[in-house]
Amino acid sequence: MDQLPVGINERIRHEAKVAGLRSKSKPSIEMVERRRMQLWLVVLVVMLGLGAAAVSVSMASGTASWITGQPWILAAAAAALAIGFCLYAVEKEVHLHRLSRLLVDERVLNSEMAKRLEMNSALSNAGKALNSVLDLDEVLDAILANALVLLGGSSGSVMLLEDEEYLRVVAIRGSEIGRDTRVHVGESIAGRVAQSREPLLVTQEVIDGELSGHADRVSAPLKAMCVPLENRGQLLGVLKISCSDDQEFDTVDLQVLSLFAEPVAAAIAKAGLYEAERAHVAQLLDSERMKTQFVASVGHELRTPITSIRGAVAASRRDIGAEKRIELMDMIERQSGRLQTMVEEILASARVDEDAGKPVLRRIDLSALVRLAALDSSVAGRPIEVIAPTSCEVRADPEAMRRILGNLIENAHKYGAEPVRVTVQQADTSVVMSVVDQGRGVAPDERERIFERFYRTDPNGIKPGMGLGLTIVRGLVESCGGTVWVEDAPGGGAAFRVSLRVRSNDELREAASAQ
Amino acid sequence: MRSKTRVLIVDDEPDVLLTMRLILEAEGFTASLAADGETALRRIADEHPDVVLLDLMMPVLDGWFVLAELSQRVRRPYVVVCSAKTGNADRARAQDLGADEYVTKPFDPEDLVALIKTLLASARRPARI
Repeated sequence: MDQLPVGINERIRHEAKVAGLRSKSKPSIEMVERRRMQLWLVVLVVMLGLGAAAVSVSMASGTASWITGQPWILAAAAAALAIGFCLYAVEKEVHLHRLSRLLVDERVLNSEMAKRLEMNSALSNAGKALNSVLDLDEVLDAILANALVLLGGSSGSVMLLEDEEYLRVVAIRGSEIGRDTRVHVGESIAGRVAQSREPLLVTQEVIDGELSGHADRVSAPLKAMCVPLENRGQLLGVLKISCSDDQEFDTVDLQVLSLFAEPVAAAIAKAGLYEAERAHVAQLLDSERMKTQFVASVGHELRTPITSIRGAVAASRRDIGAEKRIELMDMIERQSGRLQTMVEEILASARVDEDAGKPVLRRIDLSALVRLAALDSSVAGRPIEVIAPTSCEVRADPEAMRRILGNLIENAHKYGAEPVRVTVQQADTSVVMSVVDQGRGVAPDERERIFERFYRTDPNGIKPGMGLGLTIVRGLVESCGGTVWVEDAPGGGAAFRVSLRVRSNDELREAASAQ
Repeated sequence: MRSKTRVLIVDDEPDVLLTMRLILEAEGFTASLAADGETALRRIADEHPDVVLLDLMMPVLDGWFVLAELSQRVRRPYVVVCSAKTGNADRARAQDLGADEYVTKPFDPEDLVALIKTLLASARRPARI
């Protein structure tokens, strides 16, 4: 359509004038047809008239062969008149034909322009939606609605790439598919487009041929078109529009949908950035709140032993007897030890990120280590049960393991309830050590958060602590190449599990090559 | 009539209880101990102390609960809150609940003794339990 003549209106006016259409308004195709009918009717009447005149003249002269008879001049004039009139009619017909072609072109041009205007308006609406709202759902819905109106589709959806394998439906119009439905990449129309990153037009022909026996996983194959959503070369998802049975999309529609894909992809990228920024700010605020809480916790934790120490010093200055004084000395030693432990904990938690003081991994007997920790804990008035094989080797740093166990056991007594049990279970390539209590357990939404630095489940509660213990545990476990998590213990309570490797990577490689 | 002033020390930290008892007894007071709010309320009812040194963050029933409970009584002991909570909001809340003094940890035991004596010497509340 881009090659359509410029100044088509002038040409129409010119042809109309030549063809004898002298109406003031622009001629229509109907007017041209009427004119054509008139022209050929006149030609017919003239020809019939001439024929009748020739016959009557011939009969009047009384000869059978009137052409060679007396009035031959009359006959020749009639023939010349007929030929001249025919030439005139043919010339008019040529112009009328041109005119009707021009008028058809003009109609097509007008309808194309209307379509383009409609498309521009839809694209502009989509753009407006993109700029006015930052909520991704609203943006996608607005864009989808505009695309459906413009292309006359019955339903549509936007699917985003969830991971490398699946697309997830995030916006729908019509009832073709459920929101949050997952579509496998490579399967069905949307999945194929996500894989190939090429627009796809599904016509009845394609359904009957290529797609037969390749039924859409989520719905029966519909006549549809689907385009990839890409932003800066990265695939974000697909945009799919379907139509009803009596309709069919063409390649022009597919091009229009591809145009739509651009603002959709931009909206997704922009909203994604906005969401990420919002999450980042929330995280900063959260971390700031936790830091404030940490300072309060540390303040409280440090103040308590100092109160005891100052009390002990003040009391020992009085006349209390030698025995009591010795008791107070013990107290001062104990409380200053507590202060020292806290300071070390704070420093250790700061080191978790710096990766300083990397542990030395070697083979150790975890069972023996657990039994030793149980003994220490019992002496400190925190009894624990141990279920472990006679010996169980793991690759870890013994000092790190002692601290991990100590912290987890202390935690179980502080936040859980007795009996506290430590178990060691051996698998093929790993060993899982669990510290299980009979308390209330950890709520699912807190199971990751409790490992965050400064995070406390009872910020204003009466439980002492600085919110560092589990951060240190995770840091130490990871430095030993293991993982730590918490889950519900069978029968209630919390189960902190530490998975450790039995062999190093080198040892695993050696074992593999030996096989 | 009692000859010695009775002081109830309420704190969940055993070492604080022990040292404060030694100091207060050396000063001539009779000291009794409670490690949580519930025990504290029971001892207040049984022993009618003149002064209560009250920690705020404790298990079972905390110091706030004890303060609220005492604030509803017409005759009650002097209450000196001894807490590691240093915020002004906590201080104001304790005062609203009728605490006579608010001391933040770590405190100088000598200052606390002096404070108790000043409190007892004042004639703000003529009727004691």
